[in-house]
Amino acid sequence: MTESIFFYALIGSFCSMDITAFGQFMICRPIFCAPIVGYFMGDVNSGLWIGMIVELLWVNAIPMGVIVPVDVSLISILSTFWVCKYFLGVQEAAVFSLVLAIPFAYFYRDMDISGRNFNTKIMHFVEDGIKNQKYWRMYAGIYVGLFLFALRLFLFYLFAMYVGGLIYSGLYLQLSQFIILGLRNAWYLLPIIGFALVIKEFNIFRRLFLKER
Amino acid sequence: MIKVYIKMFVRSFFLQALWNFERMQNIGFVYILKPFLDKVYLDEKSKQEALMRHIGYFNTHPYMANLLFAIVANLEKGKSENKENFLDISVIKNQMAGPLAAIGDPLFFGSLRPLVACFSILVMLLFMKFLDQNFQEYAIFVPIIFIVGYNVFHIVSRCWLMFIGFKFGQDSFSVISNTKTLMPIIKYAVFIVTAVTLFVYLLIFKSSPISNLFFGIKENDLALYIIAFLFSIIFSRLGVVFLLYSIIIICSLVSYLRI
Repeated sequence: MTESIFFYALIGSFCSMDITAFGQFMICRPIFCAPIVGYFMGDVNSGLWIGMIVELLWVNAIPMGVIVPVDVSLISILSTFWVCKYFLGVQEAAVFSLVLAIPFAYFYRDMDISGRNFNTKIMHFVEDGIKNQKYWRMYAGIYVGLFLFALRLFLFYLFAMYVGGLIYSGLYLQLSQFIILGLRNAWYLLPIIGFALVIKEFNIFRRLFLKER
Repeated sequence: MIKVYIKMFVRSFFLQALWNFERMQNIGFVYILKPFLDKVYLDEKSKQEALMRHIGYFNTHPYMANLLFAIVANLEKGKSENKENFLDISVIKNQMAGPLAAIGDPLFFGSLRPLVACFSILVMLLFMKFLDQNFQEYAIFVPIIFIVGYNVFHIVSRCWLMFIGFKFGQDSFSVISNTKTLMPIIKYAVFIVTAVTLFVYLLIFKSSPISNLFFGIKENDLALYIIAFLFSIIFSRLGVVFLLYSIIIICSLVSYLRI
């Protein structure tokens, strides 16, 4: 259990780093990271479905300017991990894991903002270094920035996977029958919301109309 | 010099490693430019001045930054050879950063990524429909299709932007302005792919377990999907989280009323 949490926290932090800190290869996107975690945990189907829902719902989550968007990879990886760990292949449990993962992602966003504020101090340290021709500080700044980014993600994933997992499994077992039935219905309806949001976002008819005007 | 270009290209992936609210990508930019400045400025004083020029505020799209640091490298090279009289490289750099971000964000993150993601989802649904029992075996290809499909464009774009930045310098804008015709095409493609994906989804799940749970009438399925679709369109302004939680609450309430 502990070993697997360390392993998946490592995968999670590596994927989430892709949002801003390194690369932007889009390994942070739910359609990629959720099925990968699901694959390792033996239930790629749940991972794909969760990935599809989160990808479609947060299709617009772009780190633009000073905006720090909610970490969608965290939502999808936590959900997939929890459902595969505690209720493998149970659709209702997968939807419930999404319900619980979202507050964790918003909580992490606040942590991330604090971390980025701390980066300003490192930046001033690097600036002083360049002024005094201590160029090694530039490399140190980049690597420390990356390391701190990875560390806070890793620690948060550890916390969320373990503590969140306990809360998740405990709560799910207490749910009433009608809520579980509702969650099963939502399993099929949530992708529809996602499709609706994408279609609204890329509405070509609106574009054509605006062009005509 | 090729080694320096490769080094710069590899370092471009670390542009936002020390992203901060005060000056955003400034350290990343200096980090990328450093190997080039080492090469063109042989005395320490000029090199330090060059580094200090780029320590100020900087923010652009991470992919489009490849074009910008190539242009800046050209300008720095010119300055080191005293070929031209430069006003201020950092001013030129910051004037270009905004327009490049305005091209990069909607093109890559706002259009290309949703297109590849929707296409991957379409592939997933087609696998579900046609592979049926064997779906589990082939499901892993869906994320692979997404990541390979996206990164082919991503990596090629970064290389191309860096290349034209070095080749055309400040005139690169006229070259990349051609991409503005590409954006609406991708956006139309996203719409079409999503519509097709939705159609395939409805084909597969037209008789989902919902029909047994919501009033027990199979014909109500499509109506339910349409209601959920319209509900999402109407209340989309209230946010994704609101939509997600409200759909789950509504589903639970309906289940409760039926029980």
